Amino acid sequence: MSKSINRRKFFYDTAFSAAGIILGSNLAEAACPGSASASSYNIMKEVMKYRKINAHEHVGLGVSIELQLDFADKLGIEKLVISRPISAVSGPEATPEEFRKCNESVLQAIKQYPDKYLGSCFVNPVYRKESLEEIKRCTDQGMIGLKVYNQVKINDPLFYPIIEKFIDLKMIILMHAHCGIGVGGKRTKYGNTQPNASVPEDFAEAATRYPEAMFQYAHTGGGGDWEYACKMLSDYPNIYIDTSGSNNEGNMIDFVLKYIGEDRMFYGSDGSFYQSVGTILSSKLTEVQRKKVFFDNFNNILRKAGNHVN
Amino acid sequence: MLIDINANIGHWPFQQTNCNSCKALLDRMNRFGVNISVIGNMNGIFYKDTQASNEELFEEINSDRHFRNRFIPFGTINPIYAGWKNDLEVCIRKFGMKGIRLYPQYHDYELTDPACIELVKMAGDRGIIVGLTIRMVDSRLRAWMDLSNEWALKDIIPIMKAVPDAKYLALNVSGGIQLNDEDTKIFRDTDILLDTSGRNITDPAGLINKFGRDKFAFGTHSPILDYLTGLLRIESLRDSEADEATKELLRSGNARRILGI
Repeated sequence: MSKSINRRKFFYDTAFSAAGIILGSNLAEAACPGSASASSYNIMKEVMKYRKINAHEHVGLGVSIELQLDFADKLGIEKLVISRPISAVSGPEATPEEFRKCNESVLQAIKQYPDKYLGSCFVNPVYRKESLEEIKRCTDQGMIGLKVYNQVKINDPLFYPIIEKFIDLKMIILMHAHCGIGVGGKRTKYGNTQPNASVPEDFAEAATRYPEAMFQYAHTGGGGDWEYACKMLSDYPNIYIDTSGSNNEGNMIDFVLKYIGEDRMFYGSDGSFYQSVGTILSSKLTEVQRKKVFFDNFNNILRKAGNHVN
Repeated sequence: MLIDINANIGHWPFQQTNCNSCKALLDRMNRFGVNISVIGNMNGIFYKDTQASNEELFEEINSDRHFRNRFIPFGTINPIYAGWKNDLEVCIRKFGMKGIRLYPQYHDYELTDPACIELVKMAGDRGIIVGLTIRMVDSRLRAWMDLSNEWALKDIIPIMKAVPDAKYLALNVSGGIQLNDEDTKIFRDTDILLDTSGRNITDPAGLINKFGRDKFAFGTHSPILDYLTGLLRIESLRDSEADEATKELLRSGNARRILGI
């Protein structure tokens, strides 16, 4: 053992006596706090500077309500728009009984924390009549939008009556999105593992058919190739994008700004609370643009149905 | 003081990135209050001869005294490519590098390859830190020519088991952070830091409690990931979750210890 230590010490000392000629003095200087010219950036002050409506969050999907509200408190999130969807890939079949149960959990959370939560209703368009009934039940109790998942694509005719209902309600439809371009080595073809997930082209078709409707393309940070999605959706003024998701890639927010614009971007987390705020703060957005993304843009959507936050 | 233990310069061939030069990175560091960055050259992931990327990194850092004062370069070594032992020596003796980064998935070898173990032992003997990036990008977002497999934290345990007395950085920790009891013991007994940039640092307070406050340090995985999420994970900790002394360890104390600065 002692032999090993001695050998290591010999190598270590020898190596750094040589390296020190080149970098030793610099590192010593760098290690001194007084030598650096970095600013005293206060990230928590920046975080708390902006009012926030979180346009994409859930209940009952892993993060407890207590932990979620703790994040909200830490990160200055005023309102969270929550839903409880079922995945067509890994969840139970989204029957009317199942989606009512999901919505009930959302309604309970809202009743428990009415100052914190706004709710989005989840339905399965395969069940047309029951879905429309459930939408009425949920919006009558104060829900402010729709969250739909990967049971049916957004441009499927099964969705038409639901989209028309939300045009009447003046509320937004948050649709799960997946843009698995290139995944599976398929170059520019989709390698989606969710057969009925809506891809950007599906959103574009629905938005063209229903220009009065408002669509929210979900999680650029969680739905695959966000560059492809932004370029595809650039020219559809009734498609909005939320920047939630766990993939906080460095250039994402600036790219969304470039192709979607400052009025069609929403802040959201989808379970990734740190990333969702970190990406926006480290972007090139101006202060006015940050206010829009964190709060004003989604509040303007809410205002159309009189559900806005004062 | 703030030390970023996981930054990069160089080109990422599948996507345009911002701030991937020393100058642009330094501007960003100044804006956001980062004093020192440990940097590697991403070109070394893609060059067959990684030493060319180390030469580029050395030359760029030495092109401006501000760079020399604020960057700590790590070389990229491929232990299954000819001449790697000489490359390592040059990185240490001529370039003054305090660490190396290994990319077994991109360079197509196993962490337990005898050549890799030999390299890590040599690094350990010289006090050189070994950086292991759990993933460069999320495979769900990758370009079609990029890798489809990702590591989890448990996948780097074998090299720590093979060379327990080397110093390690585990960077951009994603894809699962769970360890069984045996691996947890190896992890705890090893001189290793996890940077705070990774997707799976979802509960920093819980991880600090589980693995210890001496196991984590601020990191950005810049320019692939955004610059501030890793910092937010530290600064948003409540006093009850991490006192000021613990936060200082995460901001710079642990990094200074392992880097010996």
